[in-house]
Amino acid sequence: MKIDLKELVNDDASLISRRVWSDQTVYEREKRAIFARSWLFLGHESQIKTPGDFVQAYMCETPIILARGEDGGIHASVNSCTHRGLPVCRSDHGNTKRFVCPYHNWSYKVDGELATIPQERQVKCKPNKAELGLKKVPRVESWRGLIFGSFNESIEPLEDFLGDMTFYLGAWIDRFPGGIEFVGSPHRWVIDCNWKLPVENQLGDVYHGPYLHGSLIAPDSEAGKEIDSYAYNVIPTPGHGASFRLMPEDSPIEQVAWGFESTVGQLGSDELKDYLRSVQTIAEEYVGPIRARMKGLAYGVYPNLSFLWSNAGFKVSHPRGPNKVEYWSWSVVPADAPEHLKKQLRNNHASFFGPGGVLEQEDAEAWMQQNLGANIDFADDRKFFYGLGLGEEGTHPDLPGTVTTGANEYYARAFFSRWRYDLLAAEGEA
Amino acid sequence: MSTLELQHRVEQFYYREARLLDNREYQQWFALIHPEISYSMPGRSNPMVDNRERGQESMISVERELEGVESDGLPYRDENYAVLWVRVDRSYKMNSWAENPPARTRRIIGNVEILEASDESLSVLSNFHLFYARPGLKDFFYAGQRRDQLIASGDSFQIKRREIVMDISTVNVPTLGIFL
Ligand code: FES
Ligand SMILES: [Fe+2]
Repeated sequence: MKIDLKELVNDDASLISRRVWSDQTVYEREKRAIFARSWLFLGHESQIKTPGDFVQAYMCETPIILARGEDGGIHASVNSCTHRGLPVCRSDHGNTKRFVCPYHNWSYKVDGELATIPQERQVKCKPNKAELGLKKVPRVESWRGLIFGSFNESIEPLEDFLGDMTFYLGAWIDRFPGGIEFVGSPHRWVIDCNWKLPVENQLGDVYHGPYLHGSLIAPDSEAGKEIDSYAYNVIPTPGHGASFRLMPEDSPIEQVAWGFESTVGQLGSDELKDYLRSVQTIAEEYVGPIRARMKGLAYGVYPNLSFLWSNAGFKVSHPRGPNKVEYWSWSVVPADAPEHLKKQLRNNHASFFGPGGVLEQEDAEAWMQQNLGANIDFADDRKFFYGLGLGEEGTHPDLPGTVTTGANEYYARAFFSRWRYDLLAAEGEA
Repeated sequence: MSTLELQHRVEQFYYREARLLDNREYQQWFALIHPEISYSMPGRSNPMVDNRERGQESMISVERELEGVESDGLPYRDENYAVLWVRVDRSYKMNSWAENPPARTRRIIGNVEILEASDESLSVLSNFHLFYARPGLKDFFYAGQRRDQLIASGDSFQIKRREIVMDISTVNVPTLGIFL
């Protein structure tokens, strides 16, 4: 089916067609234009510390083995045997010397190179093993331990791609001298919705909080008032976004300190509170005066990575067709926090977000219901309205990027402008 | 008390609990919860099989797949009395959108096995199958095991520890946040 992208997303991206969220042809084009070309998040270096360590990842629907090779380097390869295509790695994580394919037992090193072909002795013409390894992800780079891969060999360096997102991501990550660490296995949650909605939700949709989550976060609660008074949505580059509160200079340390807004902060042990306070006390040394006052909400890195600062989680929305995602969530903690405090901190994520989380069950309900709305007939002329605050965006002397406050939906318009541009550019139509 | 009578009382306790939950009488259910409750659901992943354990049952044990509260991994849930109360409380709010309209659930509790019993405390395993229908969505099926510590309370019990082992790989249900 032919699609008209300018019909799907209008020029200022204030009207978005339902088909953007539900159409198979649009999805196939997204794969070619975005997932085959962009940097995509794979995992964190703390998950693969020693040679032989591996974890599974995905680039869109393509299964990836992310591994620490015997050379100590980071490798990403497509988890599909060169012989008949079976996945050769059958575990979510572990440490190994070889992956053995079940079908004919070809074996591969963790870095994807083909090690042995058991049938080799039975044939005269020897296959060239050097050419028969797993398909490599050609570009793999990391920033602050966050590993990204791209199938696009000529893509810009990761740091350029992240741009000023590094300023905002660093505002959290850099305040921990030992860096951050991913905890355990990601929660993998299958949800009947389009991949872009969880992304949009974290990218800057702060104002759904007091409404969708009204049973837990009342608009007149402390958290609600704080958001009303101090929250910014910053779009450093269209497609990326950071939302946070910039607390006043004279705020008490407890009010700024990361984690204090959650039950972990409020109901956590005194020792945990002391720890959070101590991190905040030295934050300025590590991230400077402006970023030390930042108390994050949620971030998005184009196309499908989210970082939920307020509940210390990284999330990836892996598409499974236009109407389904496998939504992965990791809890993330400071690497040098005491081990027993890490166990308290990991709950800051899982109690609220992920499949058991008290908050995100409502998001998932909204996403599934939106998917129903995106799939109905006879309403194509009634597009989704993304026009709140159109043209009201501005700048801030201390915050790089385009800055908005309140219910301005610029973060989403910027995302869909980039999305439309990418889909057009991939077919030479931009 | 005879073993038979104890078994009967524990089973009756679980049946009553199941009825309260399926009837959405969570406030009454909450009275069965001990104030020092540890209520958890381990994460479940698929780790590499350890070659050195071949030939032994430990090679494919359930335990190695679990990321529970004592582990360094990431449990799905790790909750205390206060968090459980938040869940009970929000069930009766108009704007708890994930439960409004509420799901229809029906659970069967079985395989009730008392592992240890003293006068005050029991360690009990039970299995559940639960059917879940949220209006407007597909229907779902939950299965798993509960590992409980029950405390004697009057002529009944309170739940002081519950660990719920879900039989799932990827989470293909709309929420793991229900009372199980
Ligand atoms: S398919 Fe992998 S060895 Fe034949
Ligand atoms: Fe939300």
